[in-house]
Amino acid sequence: MHPLERLVNLVALLLESRRPLTFEQIRTKMPEGYGQDDLQSAKRMFERDKDVLRDVGVPIEVIATDAWEVEQGYAILKDRYYLPEIDFTPEEISALFVAAHAGGPDDAAEQAVRKLLYGTDGGLVAGAASAPLAAEAGAVDARLTAAAEAIAERRSVRFAYRTSRGVESERHVDPWGLVFRAGHWYLVGLDRERDEIRAFRLSRAGGELRLDGEAGPPPEGFRAVEHVVVGPFGPGEPEERATVAFSPDVAWWATRGVLGALIQDTRSDGWVKVSLPAAPGDALASWILSFGPDAVAVAPESLRAEIVHRLEAARR
Amino acid sequence: MSGRPRPAATSRASDRLRRLLVLVPYLVKHPGTELSEITRLFGVREDELTSDLNLLFVSGLPPYGPGDLIGVAIEDGRVWIEMADYFARPLRLTRAEALALYLRGTALAVTPGLREATALASALRKLEERLGPETLGELAERVEAAEDGRPSETLDALRKAVATNGRVRIEYYAASSAETTAREVDPEEVFFAIGNWYVAAFDHRSGEERLFRADRIRSVEPTGEGFEPRGLAGAGRALYTPTERDVPVKLLLHPAARWVAEYYEVDAETEGAGGDLEVQLPASRLEWVARLVLRLGGEAEVLSPPELKDRVRELASRTKELYE
Repeated sequence: MHPLERLVNLVALLLESRRPLTFEQIRTKMPEGYGQDDLQSAKRMFERDKDVLRDVGVPIEVIATDAWEVEQGYAILKDRYYLPEIDFTPEEISALFVAAHAGGPDDAAEQAVRKLLYGTDGGLVAGAASAPLAAEAGAVDARLTAAAEAIAERRSVRFAYRTSRGVESERHVDPWGLVFRAGHWYLVGLDRERDEIRAFRLSRAGGELRLDGEAGPPPEGFRAVEHVVVGPFGPGEPEERATVAFSPDVAWWATRGVLGALIQDTRSDGWVKVSLPAAPGDALASWILSFGPDAVAVAPESLRAEIVHRLEAARR
Repeated sequence: MSGRPRPAATSRASDRLRRLLVLVPYLVKHPGTELSEITRLFGVREDELTSDLNLLFVSGLPPYGPGDLIGVAIEDGRVWIEMADYFARPLRLTRAEALALYLRGTALAVTPGLREATALASALRKLEERLGPETLGELAERVEAAEDGRPSETLDALRKAVATNGRVRIEYYAASSAETTAREVDPEEVFFAIGNWYVAAFDHRSGEERLFRADRIRSVEPTGEGFEPRGLAGAGRALYTPTERDVPVKLLLHPAARWVAEYYEVDAETEGAGGDLEVQLPASRLEWVARLVLRLGGEAEVLSPPELKDRVRELASRTKELYE
């Protein structure tokens, strides 16, 4: 008998049975599966099959068959096995299909959407599966899955982390939330050693996240997204505004592509003066310099000084 | 799932079982589904599918009396399954499956300009409600995505050109040369990658296939001509295609400039003392690298090629004139 056939029959048998079945009973009902003369080898085969079923996600349970718990039986409870009814519109299931397939293969996400396909009547929206996929979601890797499971189970995690400036250290964090922002996933939580709420970009976590003990609850009103702030020029909360002039070649892009940009005036030579939200630190200076001689900072004076300082450093 | 070596026959059986426990309920609910549709939806080859279905034909509920065996019929390329009431609904999502789909969907839903965004948001809400804490734990209220970018105004015009195989004239700001130029292109695919929309197109100006970032396209004007698609690849491809014209550039990044190694594709990186990082990156034109070094101020040093150093100095002088 083919192992797959035996597995399908075993699932059917346990799902349809009203009572838990002992191994002996299963053996009697499935002689072609477990009826060989050598009881030990039949038992070993059954154990392996049980492992396969658990691996596949079939909730097979061990339940005592009598009040004295002398004998144990196996059961698959229907309400733990069957997917609850979820009706999706064709547009909804198509969007999930796109999400599952966007950004590289992912067996788990694809299997999830296949299960959900059941709950739709119209199939996929034309083109959703055959056309090249139009989008890429943030890649879900083992670190992200581990962080999500830690949050779901309220466990703290340990991991090696390298900051954007290259400083590496071991962190112990109570994970309180996950935030996807500007193309990256961040884990937000309490850094236990520093006793501060911090955001960690998961792509900078080296190796794996290890579960370690119970995590404390987040404070009242905690919102993870507030701890991952990204301005138009990088991380940081825009505090004030700066004025920058752009050459005709780049002005249209600098004004259209940047959130919060306001055109002030256009000079007769085509240069455009723009008011921009300025992030703290030197991110704005760096961004303006990326335009080379096609952009010049007009105000504030501190911004101009920072740019001149950098230009002198680059000329050495 | 295919293509990876499998250690033993049992794991192949588990893959096939995983597939069957999902496929059978779908076919019970959707009788007469075409084989080609099944292969497409379930990511399975037709020969794998027929061998699974043939096996199912001899399976069923022990003791396999009349009416206990699963009935399978394949006719005119369509499939019917009967007598499988216990498989009339699919297996629940495992936690790993639910998390993977939920996280991907959440990230995708904030893509600016995504046509599926509304449907995706309502699908995710249904998942939260119906799967509940049992599968998702406390996760649903702990995952957020922030929308930062703005959809590019040229996206709709580009999508229309792709759908109709229409040639367009675009004005494009090329970061590699820091110029805005006009050109005619044949756009074949619009896709989203690492925070930006791109269009894969044949560029008549260079006579080559190119990727254009949609937010750097200033205008899109149909020329009225059509084109024969060349089958250009879009989503999933590397955003930077190396060419034989590439010059290897070596930079020494001080700690404040390390982000460069995360942001650009680098060929090699070596850790140095005090948090320094030496990187090698490919560049077909030196202009954008010179501007990159310029913006890094003193935080990056050019190791090679020497002409890049000259280019940076020259660019710094020209820019500094604006401040005098």
